[in-house]
Amino acid sequence: MVDWLIRLFFNNCPDSLKKPFKRRFGLLLLLLPLFIAGPVQSEQLPIESLLQRSYLDDYYSNVVYGYRIVTETEKYGARYTGNNLRCSNCHLNAGRKENGLPLNVAGMYPKWRSKNGRRNGIGLRIRECFVYSLNGIMPPEDAPEVMAVAAYISYLSHGETIGKAPAGRGVPTLPDTGYDPNPASGKAIYDQTCAACHGSNGQGIAHMPPLWGMNAYNEGAGMASVHRAAGFIWANMPLGQERTLSHQQALDVSAYINMQIRPGDPREYKLLKLFETVSWFFDR
Amino acid sequence: MALNLLADISPWLPSHSSDVNIRRELFAALIGAILVIPQGITFAYLAGLPPEYGIYTAIFVTLFASLFGTSSMLGGPNTAVAILIGIAVAPFAGRGSPLYIEYVLLLSFMVGLIQLTIWLLRGGRFFMYLSPAAITGITTGVGFILILSSLDGIFGLSSSDTHFFYHKLYFLFDDAENLVNPFSFTVGATTVVAGMIARHYIARYAILIAITVGYLCGLLLMSYYSQVEMELELLGHLPINPLPFSHPPMGTDYLITGLAMLPDALIIALIGLAQSMVIVKQLRNDTDQPIQPDKEVFAQGIANFMAPFFSSFAGSGSFNRTQVNQSMRAETPLTGIVSAGIVLVFILLLGPVLTYLPMPAISGTLMLVGIGMIKSDEIKRLFNWRGELAVFATTLFCIVFLGLQTGLVVALILSVLLFVISASSLELIVEREAVSVKIRVEGHLFYASIDQLSQILKKHRQENVILDLSVVTYLDLSATEAITRELAKRDIESTFFAVKLSSERLQNQFETRMADQPVQFIQYNHTY
Repeated sequence: MVDWLIRLFFNNCPDSLKKPFKRRFGLLLLLLPLFIAGPVQSEQLPIESLLQRSYLDDYYSNVVYGYRIVTETEKYGARYTGNNLRCSNCHLNAGRKENGLPLNVAGMYPKWRSKNGRRNGIGLRIRECFVYSLNGIMPPEDAPEVMAVAAYISYLSHGETIGKAPAGRGVPTLPDTGYDPNPASGKAIYDQTCAACHGSNGQGIAHMPPLWGMNAYNEGAGMASVHRAAGFIWANMPLGQERTLSHQQALDVSAYINMQIRPGDPREYKLLKLFETVSWFFDR
Repeated sequence: MALNLLADISPWLPSHSSDVNIRRELFAALIGAILVIPQGITFAYLAGLPPEYGIYTAIFVTLFASLFGTSSMLGGPNTAVAILIGIAVAPFAGRGSPLYIEYVLLLSFMVGLIQLTIWLLRGGRFFMYLSPAAITGITTGVGFILILSSLDGIFGLSSSDTHFFYHKLYFLFDDAENLVNPFSFTVGATTVVAGMIARHYIARYAILIAITVGYLCGLLLMSYYSQVEMELELLGHLPINPLPFSHPPMGTDYLITGLAMLPDALIIALIGLAQSMVIVKQLRNDTDQPIQPDKEVFAQGIANFMAPFFSSFAGSGSFNRTQVNQSMRAETPLTGIVSAGIVLVFILLLGPVLTYLPMPAISGTLMLVGIGMIKSDEIKRLFNWRGELAVFATTLFCIVFLGLQTGLVVALILSVLLFVISASSLELIVEREAVSVKIRVEGHLFYASIDQLSQILKKHRQENVILDLSVVTYLDLSATEAITRELAKRDIESTFFAVKLSSERLQNQFETRMADQPVQFIQYNHTY
């Protein structure tokens, strides 16, 4: 189109005009297609192709490091974790599953949270995950692990609108069933549907996370709230047969899981973790 | 027996094994291992790496440096080298990120290669030119940098807030109530105070006592407040692997960054070697160990060359640990070899306890090391001589205001300059004798110093001249040429020109160059 316009113009104007015009506007005309095309839509490389590259720049190497921390937390995030969980145990499919606590939430931060009564940046949110869900110690705000997970989250959030909740954010809130959660029926459901993967004592098996005991998330974690865990269970569990449980069954299982013994909230039990470590040191 | 076997396979001399007290060596190794653990963690922090890399450096660089070395010098993580690595790699990747670690391995590999090249060129002796004043300037400057960088940890500032040092101090005073973390400050200040007190009583273990007190102080705080509300930075778990194999990254993409880091690699290689050579020089003076400086250069080079294959970064000789080693009267590289093994065992046992070590305690020890590097009595001694003082002051100024690399280059240039200036000034003594003028020359006669002699010769053109070069040991072509030129202008008939030389070699050299000149020679062994 542009090409045709240029040719039309040049074929229909006298030679005396052509030369100065060429000199003055030639470059502009050459660049015209760029202006018409509008801003270039940058495509992000999929994480699988990033993983196979031998060289990555600073941003993408942090994205890959963040992906590795999320999927192999016990290896790459070992410095600050305190249990056997991985980030991807709750943030399913490495934080890319809707209604499975997806990680494409960079646009939602900073925001105020009632949990700590502060304005939370994405960094603080990640650090709290290390303290509560991973039952570890709080990394400093400039720790490479925190930076890497932040880079991975902003990578996943590409294309989302700032301030607008992405589709399938967090877990669905279950409607009021009219009944209290019943741990006793929860135990029956657990033994029948959950115990095969998570173990009859919630200890987990290889590649399946423990649900309670000293290797699970602690009492300060988001999953320790019965209603949130119920939403997660209803929308994602059992793995591969999601939404087969009724709302009430999900609530019952959630109540059963969260009444078990697990590490205390680090805000209340101050030296507990240290004593655990030291006792492990002497038990060996 | 075991020692003899080790002496046979290791490249150091078997003559060590004659009268070595093996228990003394092993005890020194134990103390060295205890001292290197906090240093390794701290210097990894300075280099911007996870702490386990510092531990690996403490194990493997120490091991290789001692295995191939000839002295009781302990290698391993080094302050200046760690700081320089941090400065060199920081522009290319975020601190501690995987790319950053790859670049550090690449940089260490390059440092090793450069040091091996220096060994091949027999360049070790050139480090003897680094003047003591410049070394004092460097250590003082590094101490200053250490103190400043320890402020981050002690006050709980995040490293992204760090600015040029007076910015940092300004922000610290201006916005103290928002920036300073009181818990970090408590732990850091306790560590520093404990270290200062311990230094007065048992200087040798001051760092160890300081870090223990800091750890206990952190525990005390943690029993009242949770870590979440304190935001106290802890060391974290150390995922230690006894054989942490890795390799420096290769490929065209890394080549570009590698080339960009080449000047830094060169400076790190030179500074690492310079420090090791200074230690070696001291050890050679103070002890009668059979030290071969060239082998030490090789040992440093091979240790840094091997470092990236064991997840370690480049290191160098350590002043403070070698001093402790010397005070324990350890005499062989066996100390370093055993100490590397002890570090590994210690860290595997102590790992869980070290997890809760507060980072401000580590920063506190960093500050103590920094304070220890500023030696006021050495600086006071420099005030006696203006030239040395100028070198010291310029070096210090450049390190503090223009950065460590600039400072180091300036120090090298200045010490060479100082040497050249002092070498090129001639001492000329003119004595008037019965029939002639005797000009006695002291110093080196070469292109830079010949001008002084020419001026004097010109002044005595009409007289008989005896040029006494009997204490001159070095004469170059331009000197003989200048004398030839002067001879051509002289009145040959009425005056004579005689030269007295110090050796036969110089005289032969002189005679061939002045084949048909009217010169008389006074024999070098002739006395009158």
